[in-house]
Formats: sequence, structure tokens, C-alpha cells
Amino acid sequence: MALNPMHQFEVYKIGPEINLNGVNLSFTNASLFMAISSILILFLLFLGTKKKSLIPSKIQLITEMSYTFVAKMINDTAGTNAKVFFPFIFTLFMFVLFCNMVGMLPYSFTVTSHIIVTFVLAAIVFVGVTIIGFIKHGFKYLELFVPKGVPVLLLPLIIIIEIISYLSRPISLSVRLFANMMAGHTMMKVFGGFVISLGLLGGWLPLGFSVALTGLEILVAFLQAYVFAILTCIYLNDALNLHH
Amino acid sequence: MKDIKEISTRLKIAKKKIKKNEPNINGSNAASLGKALKISTEFVASVIVGSTIGFLLDIWFGTKPLLIICFFFMGVAAGILNVFKAAKKMNEKL
Repeated sequence: MALNPMHQFEVYKIGPEINLNGVNLSFTNASLFMAISSILILFLLFLGTKKKSLIPSKIQLITEMSYTFVAKMINDTAGTNAKVFFPFIFTLFMFVLFCNMVGMLPYSFTVTSHIIVTFVLAAIVFVGVTIIGFIKHGFKYLELFVPKGVPVLLLPLIIIIEIISYLSRPISLSVRLFANMMAGHTMMKVFGGFVISLGLLGGWLPLGFSVALTGLEILVAFLQAYVFAILTCIYLNDALNLHH
Repeated sequence: MKDIKEISTRLKIAKKKIKKNEPNINGSNAASLGKALKISTEFVASVIVGSTIGFLLDIWFGTKPLLIICFFFMGVAAGILNVFKAAKKMNEKL
């Protein structure tokens, strides 16, 4: 049971079952770790902004660095117009990052290794960006699907292809994060299982792999949060500045 | 005079070392892995979306295998387009 590499992704409910009009709203371990990540973020930001000294303490430094990191990312990819959306992208980045990082702790649960979680995040981004595009440009936003300099004969085909390409954004965004997290955690568990089954004689090699994989996974956890945020910025840029 | 010569040779060696290390900064293994994963998911997602649209339209119009085949290929085309766009964006960054 404990050796099963997929066992770590099991969702089970904590406490009583809550049913609202046939919708199961029970508190699960996934909800618990989402709450833990959110509370950790709030705690970090609260501690970091409590004492604003000129020479920052370590926590203040981390907070300010994450702030400038996201601010610079938005500025570089989406332009100054997108400064308004800083709170949203900062929240998204910190949430994904902390969910990934909390998932790295032993005995914890990785929320982002479930496609429904990442898909909802991506769907929020997708719907939000589309609405922003329509508010900003009206029906001219549909010009996004009509690239310049295409022969009229090819236009119907190109428009369908462009629409499919646009609709695939939330899928690729969510699948990337989910696949990376799930594959990484499964790999770690598989190598961990090798350590146990090969015992004292042959277990050292997979143990070394496990250590290396842990380092790689921490990097992937950060990288995926970064990619998620930067792609949101790129989509925002498409919606805000139609012709760039 | 001797000192200046020594310093200049040292500078040359140092410059060579910097040049040697430069390409490693941009092309670290993990960043390339991230890029590869990005492009591959981009392609797969378009194919999935295209096929799903074809499947739904097939159910809607009752033309069972026809539209899913058409939209599968359109999904592939959209995937190639996406990969092309992503690669172009990466080129701009470099």
C-alpha cells in the first residue's frame, strides 16, 4: 500500500461529509493543503511587511524580492498597461509556488498534481483574459483570429485553426503544471520504493537518485509556478495590446 | 613594464574564462527541459481540443466519423502553429 507510487495522490475527506444540493463540499486533504499554502503566504507577507526597515531582515527581503520579481515579470512581458493586474498575477504565482513547495515536504499532499485544480486556475485565467479583451477592444478583439496577409480563400480554415489554438491555451496551461508535478512526485516515490526493496546492499544507488530528484523537483516546482505566471502575462499582453 | 605585461596576460586568460562560461548561463539543463515540456504540451493540447470539438460536433450533427477526422487534422495544424509561435517567442528572447 505504502509502496504504491500513486497512493500519494489519493483524495480523502477529513471530518464530516457536507452535501449542498447534491454537491459534495466535504473538507478533503486537498482543501487542507490549499488552506495551509494560503495561510503560509499570508503569514510570510504579514511578517515581511510588519516592520519596514531600511536594511531589510531576511523575511522582509524575501517578500520584497517576490514582489519585484513578479512586478518585473509583468513589466517585461505585458507592458506597463498590465500593472493593474499585479495583485491577480502575484496571487496566482504565490499560490501555485506555495502549493508546489508544500507538496515537496514529506507526508504532504501536492494540490497541483490534480488536473482539476490546475484546470480551474487556467480556466479562470482564460475566461478573465477573454473578458478583458472584449471589454478593452469590443468586437475588434475577434481580429485576434484573423492574421494579416492571409488569402481570402484560406481564411475560413485559418480562422478555425486559430480558434482551436486559442481554445487550447487553458488545456496546455493546466496539463503542463499537472503533468510536471504528478510525474515528478511519482518518480520520487518509485525511486524511494527501490531503496526499500533493494535493501541495504543495492539501495544506495536509487537513494542517490532520490536525492538528486528532490533537488530537481524543487527546481521544477519553482519553474512551473514561474511558467504559469509568465504565460498568464503573455495572454494578458495579447488581450491588452492587440497588435504588438 | 614587466608588471603591465603580466597583467595583460592575466586579463587575456580571465577574458577567455568568461567567454567559456557564457553559454552555460543561458542554456542550463533545467531551462531547456522546461522549454521542451512547454512546446510538447502546446502541441498535445491543440490536438486534444481539436478532436474534442470534432467529437462534440459529430454528436450534434449526427455525422459520426467525418467531423472528428477533419477537426483532428485541424487540431494538428493548430498545434504546429502553436509550436511555431512558442519557438518564435523563444527566439525573440535570445
